[in-house]
Amino acid sequence: MFLRMIGRALFRQKGKMLMIAFTIALGASLATAMLNVMMDVGDKVNQELKTYGANITVVPKQASVLNEIYGLDESEESGAYLKENELGKIKTIFWAFNIVDFAPFIDTHIDLESGSSARLVGTWFNHHMELPTGEKLNAGVTNLRSWWEITDGRWIDEQAGDKKAAMVGAAVAQRENIKAGDSIKVKTEHGSETLVVTGVFDAGGDEDENIYAPIDVVQRLSDTDGLLTSIEVSALTTPDNDLARKAAKDPKSLGAADYETWYCTAYVSSICYQIQEVITNSVAAPVRQVAESEGAILEKTQLLMILITLLSLLGSALGISNLVTASVMERSSEIGLLKAVGAHDGAISALVLTEIILTAIIGGLVGYFAGFGFAQIIGHTVFGSSIEMKPIVIPIVALLVIAVTLAGSIPAIRMLLRLRPAEVLHGR
Amino acid sequence: MLVALLAIAIGATILSGLVTIYYDVPRQMGAQFRNYGANMLLMPASADADFNEEAIEQAKSAVNKDLLVGAAPYRYESVTINDQPVIAAATNMDGAKAASPYWYVNGAWPTQNGEAMVGKSLAAVLGVKEGGTVSVIYKEEDAKEDDKGKTADFTVTGILETGGTEEDYIFISLEDMSALTGFGGRLDVAELSISASKDELQAIADKISTVSPAVSARLVKRVTQSETTVLTKLQALVFLVTSVVLLLTMICVATTMMAVVAERRKEIGLRKALGASNAGIIGEFMGEGLLLGGFGGLLGAGFGFAFAQAVSMNVFNSSISFRFIILPLTVLVSVAVTGLACLLPVRSATDVDPALVLKGE
Repeated sequence: MFLRMIGRALFRQKGKMLMIAFTIALGASLATAMLNVMMDVGDKVNQELKTYGANITVVPKQASVLNEIYGLDESEESGAYLKENELGKIKTIFWAFNIVDFAPFIDTHIDLESGSSARLVGTWFNHHMELPTGEKLNAGVTNLRSWWEITDGRWIDEQAGDKKAAMVGAAVAQRENIKAGDSIKVKTEHGSETLVVTGVFDAGGDEDENIYAPIDVVQRLSDTDGLLTSIEVSALTTPDNDLARKAAKDPKSLGAADYETWYCTAYVSSICYQIQEVITNSVAAPVRQVAESEGAILEKTQLLMILITLLSLLGSALGISNLVTASVMERSSEIGLLKAVGAHDGAISALVLTEIILTAIIGGLVGYFAGFGFAQIIGHTVFGSSIEMKPIVIPIVALLVIAVTLAGSIPAIRMLLRLRPAEVLHGR
Repeated sequence: MLVALLAIAIGATILSGLVTIYYDVPRQMGAQFRNYGANMLLMPASADADFNEEAIEQAKSAVNKDLLVGAAPYRYESVTINDQPVIAAATNMDGAKAASPYWYVNGAWPTQNGEAMVGKSLAAVLGVKEGGTVSVIYKEEDAKEDDKGKTADFTVTGILETGGTEEDYIFISLEDMSALTGFGGRLDVAELSISASKDELQAIADKISTVSPAVSARLVKRVTQSETTVLTKLQALVFLVTSVVLLLTMICVATTMMAVVAERRKEIGLRKALGASNAGIIGEFMGEGLLLGGFGGLLGAGFGFAFAQAVSMNVFNSSISFRFIILPLTVLVSVAVTGLACLLPVRSATDVDPALVLKGE
């Protein structure tokens, strides 16, 4: 009997129930879309902020100050280097997956044919690496220097077979009248090399005074096989908090539990610490200009999204419960009739509630998938990548829909039950 | 009726709140991006140009005061401390603090002459700590071997951490540098941090070059280029989120409105049976709906602004700029949505034979 009544109610009032289900679906899809986007926005924006370049630099311990301060040049090397064969280890640290990109650097002074000298920097451009873990990876400055404007020619690409190639800074190119496609002859005390210029770049800074070439060329020219002067690392990080600031000063000052928390969170200081652990004789330091600003922007964006999500959740909750209340109130005469023919309050409540909940479940299901679709549209349009599906959203949305429909219907049902059947049926 | 009014008010709140936030986000986020520091460099236009504080003030006058976040002039000089060559940077400390908010000072910024701030790696080499004293010796480049140069003592108020080359410098005030070296006010460079997009910055740079001929303005490509990329994405994100939320909310309002009106089919049938014309009924219902829409819209616009203000205070710690245009826009959209939502069920009710409607089929 109960089932039959419900079945009849759902079918007889098809139009109305469809309307309610539709509204609930809209509300649920809004909640799903916003929650999914909100939870993923941190990662996505973090990824975007990588255009500012590396947020960690690694230098040899002794050399961290010597070169700049004592003005040492090639003739009296400080003797401190990092080892190239340890580079792969950066991708083996605890937060390996957060390391987005990295590039090694080595530089030397060279003499050009015209007699003037310049700085030649060796690095990776689009270097292919196969790690001991079996992972494959492309790393290099092509992504770490996204603000470089290639005014002539193209980037060096090791994978496309560029070996004795060079990219020339705009200032040098103008002074020496170098164009893409030219060959330049560079000379050091350890040898000389003829490089083909693949491109001229405008970096809008000091780098315009440099010439860039694949790392092995520079190592050969400066007689520093397998050695590096610095590494730049671009990592996805969590904004700093008090714990991270305390740990950054001295990790050993933390208690065991705090240390664990800090080590296992992707703070820039803990990633630096872990890099220092794997690269011998190194000092890894955050580039505050990038790391600090990233944190601030991420935090603001996330907070903004959370508040917008709250507003839309509140809006859809109010909207749904509003409509449910209206649709229950409207059935006063039906409820009056049921009471008049002798139905218990409990039975009537059960009947109306089951109907509404059934509708809500159908609406919620449809809404969840529609909302997930909306989230994907947002992800692809804005970030060009899909939004990760977070399982936690499902129970939240389910709870929200059920709670909101119950909150909307129970007070209305109680009010109707309190009415006298005769009055209701009379239409007062 | 209350149900309908509530629905419209909720819709209007979301509409006005989100649109207000959407319009204000670029401004507020732009201010956050100034954390990355200077995005414009002022340099001497030529080797013998009069590039001093006066010229920089003149250049600054070309920038709208509200947009200028910070400006720091710099003069670099090679000096020696403990017989080691060091680069001393003279600047205006307040300006440097505003132009490079990411600098972290262990201790305090220098506040008066005779105080200095030392970069972290330099401090490690010199072995100085906060509160210590350093003697800075300046010799002119062409000074003779036996020339001892000028000496000045500085109290170290703080150790500077930046993760960049600044960690190798010692920072002192321009007055101290002038007393030490007698450089006569000529500066090397000035950093400006301006809250503006890349194109606006270019326009400002061009303006500066015409206003003060001694100065050549350059954009810091790394900062401006990246800011444009990221800010465009963020704006697109807020735009899409806003439009999805608005679309769904408006449909939600419309369905509620339709449900409320559909409930009154009986009333429509009765009026028709009593001889009311279709146009009369539609007019009456529409009038009611539009009034409701207008009132709900007004209510929602107020709440929405309050919400946007709360968000802005929470997220950016600054109040939101109120755009008057959003008020009529919200009311207009609410009226349009309610009107449309009323029209459909009323029309379907008036099209049907009153007898059927009254019977409840």
